[in-house]
Amino acid sequence: MIYVRSPLFTGQSEPVEQPLQFDHRHHVTDAGVDCRYCHLTAETAASAGYPPTEVCMGCHGQIWNQSPLLAPVRASYFTGRALTWKRVNQLPGFVYFNHSIHVNKGVGCVTCHGRVDQMPEVMQSATLTMGFCVDCHRDPAPQLRPREHVTDLGWTAEDPAAVGHEIAQALDVHTRTSCTACHR
Amino acid sequence: MSAPQLWRSPEERGGEREPTGEFPPGASELDGASRRDFLALLGASLGVAGLAGCTRNPPPEVRPYTRQPRDVKPGVALHYATTMTLGGAASGLLVTSREGRPVKIEGNPEHPASLGASGIYEQAAIYHLYDPQRARTFKRRGRPGSWAAFLAEVGSPSASFRRDGGAGLCFLVEPSGSPLLASLREKVLAALPKARFFSFDPLARDAVFAGTKLSFGRPLEALLDLDKARTIVALDADFLSEGPFRLRYQRRFSDHRMPDGAINRLYAAESALTITGANADHRLRVRSSEIAELGLALLAAVAPDRGKAGASNAFAGSAWVRTAASDLRERGAAALVIVGSRQPPFVHAIAAAINAELGSAAVSYVKPALDDLAAGPASITALAREIEAGSVDTLVMTAWNPAYAAPADLGLADLLKRVPTTIYHGLFDDETAGRAAWFLPATHDLESWGDARALDGTVSLMQPLIEPLWSGVSAPEVLAAFVGIAERGPLRLLRESWAERAPRADFEAWWGASLQRGIIEGTAFPRETATLDWTALTGAITAFVPAPRAEGIELDFRPDARILDGRFADCAWLQELPDPITKLTWSNALQLSPRTAARLGLATEDRVEVKLGGRAVISVVLIVPGHADDAASMALGYGRGGEEIVARGLGANAYLLRTGGAPWFAPGATVTRIGGKKLLALTQEHWSTEGRPVAIVVNAPDVIRRHLPVLDTQKGPQPTVYPEVAQTGYRWAMAIDTSRCTGCSACILACESENNTLPVGEEQVRLGREMQWLRVDRYFEGSLDDPRVLVQPLACVHCEDAPCEVVCPVAATVHSDEGLNEMVYNRCVGTRYCSNNCPYKVRRFNFLDYAKDLSKSEELAMNPEVTVRARGVMEKCSYCVQRIEGTRIRAEIEGRPIADGEIVTACQQACPSQAITFGSLHDPASQVSILRADPRSYGLLHQLGTRPRTEHLARVRNPHPELG
Repeated sequence: MIYVRSPLFTGQSEPVEQPLQFDHRHHVTDAGVDCRYCHLTAETAASAGYPPTEVCMGCHGQIWNQSPLLAPVRASYFTGRALTWKRVNQLPGFVYFNHSIHVNKGVGCVTCHGRVDQMPEVMQSATLTMGFCVDCHRDPAPQLRPREHVTDLGWTAEDPAAVGHEIAQALDVHTRTSCTACHR
Repeated sequence: MSAPQLWRSPEERGGEREPTGEFPPGASELDGASRRDFLALLGASLGVAGLAGCTRNPPPEVRPYTRQPRDVKPGVALHYATTMTLGGAASGLLVTSREGRPVKIEGNPEHPASLGASGIYEQAAIYHLYDPQRARTFKRRGRPGSWAAFLAEVGSPSASFRRDGGAGLCFLVEPSGSPLLASLREKVLAALPKARFFSFDPLARDAVFAGTKLSFGRPLEALLDLDKARTIVALDADFLSEGPFRLRYQRRFSDHRMPDGAINRLYAAESALTITGANADHRLRVRSSEIAELGLALLAAVAPDRGKAGASNAFAGSAWVRTAASDLRERGAAALVIVGSRQPPFVHAIAAAINAELGSAAVSYVKPALDDLAAGPASITALAREIEAGSVDTLVMTAWNPAYAAPADLGLADLLKRVPTTIYHGLFDDETAGRAAWFLPATHDLESWGDARALDGTVSLMQPLIEPLWSGVSAPEVLAAFVGIAERGPLRLLRESWAERAPRADFEAWWGASLQRGIIEGTAFPRETATLDWTALTGAITAFVPAPRAEGIELDFRPDARILDGRFADCAWLQELPDPITKLTWSNALQLSPRTAARLGLATEDRVEVKLGGRAVISVVLIVPGHADDAASMALGYGRGGEEIVARGLGANAYLLRTGGAPWFAPGATVTRIGGKKLLALTQEHWSTEGRPVAIVVNAPDVIRRHLPVLDTQKGPQPTVYPEVAQTGYRWAMAIDTSRCTGCSACILACESENNTLPVGEEQVRLGREMQWLRVDRYFEGSLDDPRVLVQPLACVHCEDAPCEVVCPVAATVHSDEGLNEMVYNRCVGTRYCSNNCPYKVRRFNFLDYAKDLSKSEELAMNPEVTVRARGVMEKCSYCVQRIEGTRIRAEIEGRPIADGEIVTACQQACPSQAITFGSLHDPASQVSILRADPRSYGLLHQLGTRPRTEHLARVRNPHPELG
């Protein structure tokens, strides 16, 4: 019981080596790219989405367009063969998580994904066990932030409890603990 | 007053057999292993399994698009309108597609044939598409071939059939109304003027057109307007479950089963009990051959001066005929007589005469939508004669499986050997594929471009939802190959044919809009003025000689309620769908009435030899209350000998007895017991509620004057030991109007498709392990020979005080704050206590790992929103909670409450008769709240105090006061 909740099993805090060297620090912190620029459907679909190669090429067709590090991206773009990434955050098949409702209700990316802007290689930040989800589903208010700060990984409230309560009222956020909210 | 005594099988009625318990003997045994063996195995495997659970899987790979298609969001479903055809007639579909794979089918609300509903064949199209048994390779004389090689062969100027203008070239096609196919046929005939087209459909509706030709001088299609009919007489007409407009007719019929004074009354005369017969207020058991005389008697009673011939026959004095006739006369324009396509043209003419005589406004006539009005035995016999005469050099067959389904007296399977080049285009490696020189795998309708006409002429467009899964070509491409334009591909062929037919400046915009809607605006045929030709009809009536009463049994051939003429025989989901009336799965049987079976000394499951005109097949007896005496019926489509694995070895082949002269019923059959039993997988006695009254029927006048004592005992508060739970927010509930329900079972298949329910196989069904969440109970009432029928769909009723929840040791079934009885698969350890404690018997247990038999292609048919359950897990109706949650997320993001009617469950969406309503009780104005306030509404097994969230509305009968 302890083992399956330990990082040894959950894979928490374990950097996942990707086939392509992609540094979130550089893109988020240095270049100031918003999460949603690449994770296109975070606000509208269950999956936040992985960027299609054309999104990479939108910039890298112009800058660093000769970089050998980006050769696989160009190859993917011109051959139509997909880039292959390794999944970092993973839920079991019987869990139906939906990004759009969380984002629209003021749950920040950082709440589950951690400071991706500080990760050279992305790793799973939270345990992503049922306990982790249910803690928030029982009492969502403390985790809420204004909609405009959802993707702002460094944002903190001066008084999280008060702000959270206010947002819960404004966005009509309530406790959701029915099993079928996530398991179908 | 107690509820009327209901029974589900002759054995149950006679008290010969106690109703089978929830789990019949052996139900919890493993195949070939006892419980003790199982425990031993369990002990050994525990250690291994325990260790296996400790390893972590490597992170899965993710492959995003390189260029994401417009409109596509991974995880968000898209919907496209398209069309499927059966017997050449179009049915409009609205297909849900996820990441490029179709997963669910609904009816297209704009389509006249479906009105937004779908039937079992529409629902099964998904499984048909992904069927791993579908043919994958081109074959030339048994060796791998290719489309290119085929094109080269038929395109060659020296091809043998090109000699003499195509004199040796014959086509055997499905009947079709497709403008594209018609234009391609014209092109073929222009290039090869001596080529001939024959069409073939085992269920051809030739008699309808021949009948209208007799009555009106030209072939016409009769369209029924059931909105205008108050008295309906169906003569061997199963209009609620057969024919191209069955969904539309079901909707319109059910619309007028409300006890509001305008309720319709249905009289049905038929031999085998059908869905239409089960819904009749007055059903008459007659042999199919007697229908003509019955029709004449009815004509005589309605119009004494017109139908003297029928005034004195055996039926003339019967109470059924007298009452039906007086009812028809009283209704006048609101009366309607319908004849089924199994009956000869003469009977159709009689019905047209009665309708004309009454001035019925409920029937109108249009030009037939099909280009092939002769697709029955006459057409294929003409082809067989040509082959015998040696005048066929190349035969192209795009019709479904002629070698298997052609009339037995033609010997077509052998005749095909005499044709030097036979080409067969089909979905499966079936009986015909094995005999053809060239086999061309066909694309499924969901993979094809094309067009088709609905019964009223409306053109429906067919667009592919997916690239052909395996190599395959469509029927238009096969025809195009003979005029050298096949390489244009199906889309260009279709667009060119429409650009030619409907040239317009804004073609692109018009084309796009038409594709989006799935139909082409303004293509329905106008109503024809049809004047009855009394002279011809009087001549026919005078010349009519009733069939002499033959010795022996009259054998009826019927399309199977599930696999139709056999073209769906390989679909396990359809095989496992219980027949709406007999509740038989995975087989056909020889249906006999209780009296005839007793006379012949036969019992259900006895193996028998059925002989007719020197031909014989071995079948198995199934006694069906309500069947006509001295008659037997067999469903077509079984006894297969092709390469389809699922279908092989199931049932008996009725086609072996079916001749061109008597395609639908034939006198003089003999039935002899040959000893031994063949166990049938019947579900009629499964899931017993131990004789407690659950299905309730009331008479329309009693509802109108609110005198419903039988229902009064089913209402009101009940003492309970459960604590009262305060409820806020949505309170999901369902109302099922059994008065609307016809028992067609489309809901069952829709539920399976939405919720990833899997078939378990014949053996498992016999053990009572079928997994369908929704079942449609069929009850008989009254006499064994001529019972009345009730149907009642039943799934989990989501009790507010649910007996299942309190007995689960691991809290795997719990109550949601909105009233759902939730089933949490990942918690379930499989004690089955919940199912044991469920009074409705609506829980289903995965005794085995049924998902492991799914092929890679069938996995694509699974709904990604629902878990595919593993072995050892209980499951049941969830009120389509994935749809509730999906809608909730949409509404919450938009910052609004969920509107009434916004959530539609899969069963509700499919239901052709709109018997199912879903919504929230928190809103007193919601549809479901209104229905639950109806005096007919009651909670099943009310006395148990379970307070079901699904309530049923009692079935209404509308008997004629004189027949009671």
